[in-house]
Amino acid sequence: MVRLIRAELRKLLGLPTAWIGLVLGTLTAPVIVLLNAPYTRRAIAAGTLTDPSDLGMRDLGVGLIGPIILGVIVVSSEYTSTGPDTPGARQLTATLVAVPDRLRLLVAKTTALVLVVAVQATVTTAATLTLTQVLHGIHAPAPAPARVAAAILYWTLTALLAYAITLITRNGIVPLTLLIINSSVVSVSYLLTKVTDLASYLPDIAGAQMFIGTAGFPVEIAPVTAGMVMTAWVVALLGLGAVLFQRRDV
Amino acid sequence: MAITSTLITTVTTGTALDRAVGRGWAFTSLTLALRPGSDGPWTDSVVRIRERSDVRGPKQLLTQFMITIENVSKIKSRTQILYDVSFEARPGRVTGFLGPNGAGKTSALRILLGLDRPQSGTALIRGRPYRKLDRPLTTVGALLDGSGAHRARTARAHLRWVAASNGLPNSRADEVLEVVGLTGDARKRAGRFSLGMSRRLGLATALLGDPAVLVLDEPVNGLDPAGIRWMREFLKNSAAQGRTVLVSSHLMGELAEIADDVIVINKGRVVIHGRLADVTGGHRTLEDAFFALTAAEAGSPW
Amino acid sequence: MNTARAELRKLLTLPSLRRTALLTCAANLLLAYAYAAAESRGEPLGDDAALAPLGYTQAGFLVLGVLAAASEYQEGDQIRTTLLAMPRRLPLQAVKAAVLAVVTLPVAAVTVATSTPAGGAGTWMPAATAYLTLTTLLGAAVASVVRRSVPAVVLLLGLYFIAGPLLRARTATSAAYLPDTAALDPSRGAAATITWTLAALTLAAVTLHRRDA
Repeated sequence: MVRLIRAELRKLLGLPTAWIGLVLGTLTAPVIVLLNAPYTRRAIAAGTLTDPSDLGMRDLGVGLIGPIILGVIVVSSEYTSTGPDTPGARQLTATLVAVPDRLRLLVAKTTALVLVVAVQATVTTAATLTLTQVLHGIHAPAPAPARVAAAILYWTLTALLAYAITLITRNGIVPLTLLIINSSVVSVSYLLTKVTDLASYLPDIAGAQMFIGTAGFPVEIAPVTAGMVMTAWVVALLGLGAVLFQRRDV
Repeated sequence: MAITSTLITTVTTGTALDRAVGRGWAFTSLTLALRPGSDGPWTDSVVRIRERSDVRGPKQLLTQFMITIENVSKIKSRTQILYDVSFEARPGRVTGFLGPNGAGKTSALRILLGLDRPQSGTALIRGRPYRKLDRPLTTVGALLDGSGAHRARTARAHLRWVAASNGLPNSRADEVLEVVGLTGDARKRAGRFSLGMSRRLGLATALLGDPAVLVLDEPVNGLDPAGIRWMREFLKNSAAQGRTVLVSSHLMGELAEIADDVIVINKGRVVIHGRLADVTGGHRTLEDAFFALTAAEAGSPW
Repeated sequence: MNTARAELRKLLTLPSLRRTALLTCAANLLLAYAYAAAESRGEPLGDDAALAPLGYTQAGFLVLGVLAAASEYQEGDQIRTTLLAMPRRLPLQAVKAAVLAVVTLPVAAVTVATSTPAGGAGTWMPAATAYLTLTTLLGAAVASVVRRSVPAVVLLLGLYFIAGPLLRARTATSAAYLPDTAALDPSRGAAATITWTLAALTLAAVTLHRRDA
């Protein structure tokens, strides 16, 4: 299994698009904090910032494009055509010839993804929060370690969400579009919470409540429950994806 | 590939018009008899040629369909892959383009077809570069690797848009499908084609305009024995019809049987070109001559 | 014109385009409903409920353009066949863009029409339709330079949905330079959209002309 995970890691890190995801995911949030520093200072001084304890945490959302890209291409790269001679063949054919046990393959892929994304999450969270402390430390209390861990978990679960959806649809464009729009400054899920309370249980909304205290969600969910809701979503989608992957032809 | 067990005779008459010159050729291309049994669908291509009465003289017209490549050099990713390549392909003859992998055959053909730009030199068909040809598919039919079709499109849909692009009727799509034996798979998506089927789709695309010039890059790659035999007859008959046929390959045996002229290229340079007999020279076979001419570096057969 | 007919056939026989158009229309309907439902609940989601869904639906139009253009380069080497059949590249690029616009217009019109609640101001509808069509052209232009659909989608969606809003929040003037301002505020931003689209199309034409196939 370790051998398989190493192979999947090498595959992932050999994709140029993966590096785009890594760079964007890691650098975007800290850079935004840096660029926004003067405005944030003014906002704090003017008292318009509602809850300074969320500072830094909110900015992490910008970098979510990174794990989304990584989660998507882990699967979508297997489904790209290998060349004009046999357009029906995809990389997946070679992969399954090397590793015919599909469940083991999925476990290896998932583990490789989790490793990469968790490391990225740790780096970017550390960078963003440290930067926030350095710039605005006087006003914003250092977040509790539990919240930091929750943020990293959210990051990783987002990647797994993208991964699961791509596994189900076999197409990178659909999950990419949905999730990038959703991770934008005004997400669709957030809008939907205004329509129906059920939307509060969507994975990204629920998950956000793990570490973001005040966002005006109509339904308040305790952080631990929020984590469980998001994990449940991911597990369900991964399960569906795994079943489909096992049963389908290549 | 599926062996159809019906007897179908297809006679296609296409007229290639040279607007600039104002004269016309009428080709009766490929009559194929598809017979049941072990011969498979690839048998007996019978071709005839009819000239219009106002034609001045066959030789003069024929030279218009020549391929001339002069002093072509190409640099790709900072490596020079073609050095001052020059050769000709004449009508009524099969010109074989031989060389090891990576010698530059495909690059030269792509430059000829206007796909890539050379750093210097000219590649002309009938005295004009490919990009300047009007309705090029009626003059040149090219078979490169794969099928050239999008994976999600059906074979028929693919041929129809190509036909439309050159003002050819939809019926041509069905006609060429029949010629290559893909009629049963016309509604299949190109992504579901096997290697041989993809090549045949590519060939069908090349034949849509009933062109006077054929440029084929490794045409038998992926074909089964019946297909290889069909291709051999097809190429010989096309040349006999007066078409210009330029075939690149590294199957020496095949080329030795059908080529009239041979060009040998190695590492981006033309090593020799001339008639088959001249190139084979004192060697027993073309293959011996080839290896003598392109002596590989010590040790590596690749 | 032969080239136009060929390009039209290409677009109409690509299943992924049909699916994208359908999904986009469906998503737009859902969003329009969501906005209307929110208003009726007394929690309006924004000032211009009719226009706002388009801010999201435009992603579908970007993807439409990307898929149309990337189809030449992915899933088989179709660009080669295209260039062999129609070797004059600049006219080809122009015709491609024109045909894509023609095919997109009805989809955009339907989307815009279904986005309006009954009795909404209809004066902005032609502008919105034009905007969505231009957005598709922009997507196609970017994809034909990048030649792969995933990076093109990441680039465009990143610009429209992440970089754009951030820039807009920082400086009000930057809004005039972003291509998607017209979706949010029809009175401004038309020039930006047109300029961005034309620039992208020009870049696409130049790269097609100069590059190897």
